[in-house]
Amino acid sequence: MQPEAQVPYAQLEVAVLVSVGRHPLTGRARRADQDARGVELALSLDKARITLLHAGTLDEQSESALRGYLGMGLPQLTLVEQPPGADVVPALADMLDEARPQLVIAGERAEEGEGSGLLPYLLSERLGWPLVSGLAGVEKVENGVATLLQALPRGQRRRLQVRLPAIVTVDAAAATARQSAFGPARRGEVEVETAAVVWDEAQSEWSVAPARKRPKRLKIIKATSARERFKAAAAKAEGGSGQVLTDVTPEQGAEAIFKLLKEEGVLR
Amino acid sequence: MLDTLLPILIFSALALAVIGAVRRIRLWRQGRPSPVPILQGLAAMPRRYLVDLHHVVARDKVMSNTHVATAGGFVAAAVLMILVHGLGLANPVLGGLLLAASALMFVGSLFVAKRRRNPPARLSKGPWMRLPKSLMAFSLSVFLITLPTVGVLPQGTGSVILALVLAAVLAWGLGEMFFGMTWGGPMKHAFAGALHLAFHRRPERFGEGNRSTGLKALDLDNPKAPLGVETPSDFTWNQLLGFDACVQCGRCEAACPAFAAGQPLNPKKLIQDMVVGMAGGSDAGYAGSPYPDKPVGEHAGSPHGPIVAREGTALVDAETLWSCTTCRACVEECPMMIEHVDAIVDMRRFLTLEHGNTPNKGAEVLDNLIATDNPGGFDPGSRMHWAADLNLPLMRDVGQVDVLLWLGDGVFDMRNQRTLRALVKVLRAADVDFAVLGNEERDSGDVARRLGDEATFQALAKRNIATLAQYRFQHIVTCDPHSFHVLGNEYGELGGVYEVRHHSTYIAELYEAGRLHFAPWKGGKVTYHDPCYLGRYNGEYDAPRNVLKALGIEVAEMARSGYRSRCCGGGGGAPITDIPGKQRIPDMRMNDVKETGAELVAVGCPQCTAMLEGVVDGPAEVRDIAELVADALMERPAASGSIRAPQPSVEEVTP
Repeated sequence: MQPEAQVPYAQLEVAVLVSVGRHPLTGRARRADQDARGVELALSLDKARITLLHAGTLDEQSESALRGYLGMGLPQLTLVEQPPGADVVPALADMLDEARPQLVIAGERAEEGEGSGLLPYLLSERLGWPLVSGLAGVEKVENGVATLLQALPRGQRRRLQVRLPAIVTVDAAAATARQSAFGPARRGEVEVETAAVVWDEAQSEWSVAPARKRPKRLKIIKATSARERFKAAAAKAEGGSGQVLTDVTPEQGAEAIFKLLKEEGVLR
Repeated sequence: MLDTLLPILIFSALALAVIGAVRRIRLWRQGRPSPVPILQGLAAMPRRYLVDLHHVVARDKVMSNTHVATAGGFVAAAVLMILVHGLGLANPVLGGLLLAASALMFVGSLFVAKRRRNPPARLSKGPWMRLPKSLMAFSLSVFLITLPTVGVLPQGTGSVILALVLAAVLAWGLGEMFFGMTWGGPMKHAFAGALHLAFHRRPERFGEGNRSTGLKALDLDNPKAPLGVETPSDFTWNQLLGFDACVQCGRCEAACPAFAAGQPLNPKKLIQDMVVGMAGGSDAGYAGSPYPDKPVGEHAGSPHGPIVAREGTALVDAETLWSCTTCRACVEECPMMIEHVDAIVDMRRFLTLEHGNTPNKGAEVLDNLIATDNPGGFDPGSRMHWAADLNLPLMRDVGQVDVLLWLGDGVFDMRNQRTLRALVKVLRAADVDFAVLGNEERDSGDVARRLGDEATFQALAKRNIATLAQYRFQHIVTCDPHSFHVLGNEYGELGGVYEVRHHSTYIAELYEAGRLHFAPWKGGKVTYHDPCYLGRYNGEYDAPRNVLKALGIEVAEMARSGYRSRCCGGGGGAPITDIPGKQRIPDMRMNDVKETGAELVAVGCPQCTAMLEGVVDGPAEVRDIAELVADALMERPAASGSIRAPQPSVEEVTP
């Protein structure tokens, strides 16, 4: 590599969206696992300036959970004050639009509340920034283009290039979050910013019930040997009648999807 | 000529010693403040030295006598020499005493020399190898110089050359004994050791039968208070003084299970590293056994520099600190009463609370403790599943009870559930009025604290104390020595004072009160493994043996038993941090068991059970004392009179 090739580039501005998590067994507030992995991803980036962003209220429970992120070694967290029942998308979008980070990292879905996993998509739609889901890592950022590694099922990875600014989400495929330490968590500052509140009108009409485990598609195993049984147990449920479309027009793609949905009985 | 030369020599050596002492004290004062009663401590020092310290030294009879002769002879000779030769009080009585003292010291130094001829590996070499010669130089020259004073030899015997040679030898002796004492020679242990005894951080540990083993709490309410120890100057000044008192005898090294297992820890080297850090420099001058597989000379530190580097090397590597099982074998063996475990946990606290660097499963276990109140991450609501059929009375229902049975996290472990069931059977057989906290119980915080997470420990402890405060009970009984130690010795500082007993103690009491009756033992040879947290931490060596005796078992003791028991490897979070070594500690312990030829090893701790049962192809069966007792239970013998309530007579009534 030639020395002049190393152009000093500006610090990479990274915003990580963090939420208040919920322990699956005890329901105690904690740092959310996927969001913490997002922070870990940000910390692994070279020369990144990291902003932690949370939209919600500050109380005893949420503060201890949010300080869990600070305990990973970050000095500050920005809290966009939003009361329960507010739609946080406009407030977050305004914040991001103003701060203009180059990379926004979020978890795939929240552990509490709606947990629909739609927030990054809504932000992406509002801001007009591209979105990459299921990230395993960021390989490099050069000249405003990030080379990303996306996680696919069964350990496969896909290398993608995205022009920044972009929004990326991480799930369990990303590196495990580092330990949160008490000292930095206690010292870290929570900076509260006020923002306009847009009420989530639809939410008040919903009824909320505890989530149930999704039913799994039954696998009928007709194995005669141990090897086959093992293979069947290790394999992921597959339709078998899948179809890979490459180099097709958007219309053709849409048509194929429409056809599949009809076949599966989703659309009638 | 000697008459003019001697006072000059003696007083210049004393003056240099005073200058050295001031320098040394300034090194210690780099540490954080720690208030001690100065005069009271100094007044208590002779007793601490003569009784408590010598109690430890006397475990090695030859060395103890050697030390009495050498040190006693030296102190007497030094004082008398100042009087006779320094101040010129050439009184024949004083001179005679001086002759006797120096002769005694010389005899002692011969034994020191004998031990140094083929020194065991645990002894440090280097400057320590010249010590017997220096002792001889001092005692012999003082003896010879004093001969004319008492008139054995006429004044002015010998030539000027002889006088000069004698003076030179004496100068060497004075150099080692006075100058070296405060400037960092081997004799430093006498100066620092005496003050260390006077200003010890745990004065309550001195005195017959006293012990002080609970870790000291961190002040978490004050955001300015440091979270553990980052640099040598973060220790309290009297801790630094304690490190400086080390004589490098290596008894700790010989007792350390981690060192024996080839893990990168040697308590002696650790203490010497702290001395190096306090003074600044590298460990290249260390002349004892290194940390296994870590050559000497690659680490260096300074009083205000980090002890453990985030990256690269500093004074000590993190894995050295995480190898410790906190078994206290080193503290128990240390003749200078140095508190190794306190220092290790202090440094671990910094690594966990500030760096967030608890190795291996540490972070996961701490997260589990925070989220689920148990290290395994089990549903806290499933705490009593093991006892679904036992109908155990809950404190919440009864409110007041004689015995609160503390179950510990063993409730989630299928092996320990057998012990617990056995213990419940025993308590019921003795008609004990007991109850359990059930799902209200939480982890005692033992593991969190030993892993350095004082915040999680205090959070758990405070909630446990709040729970216990709702109920009335006489005492707590537990089959987990770790819970026993934490509840009994460490909750007090946080406001929870309880009378806690180990189940073996309680069973022994029940048996003595005639509430339990055992069938005679029919099994084979049995040995007993002392859990560290029961024995060394709480001094309970007799009760488990008494219970075994009551069962009709004659214990075939292991070579390392009682206060010298070898750790099972399960304490201090060592199975969680899992620092690799050349062999496993439990394997070594099972070898100890094998040497006794026992078919069964009785234990009294869930950790020990798990560790010893984890030994592949173990030579002996592992049973908890509660299980042995439960198996031997029998009804009250008929001979002692039938007190059984008469059967209610049933009358048939026909209409």
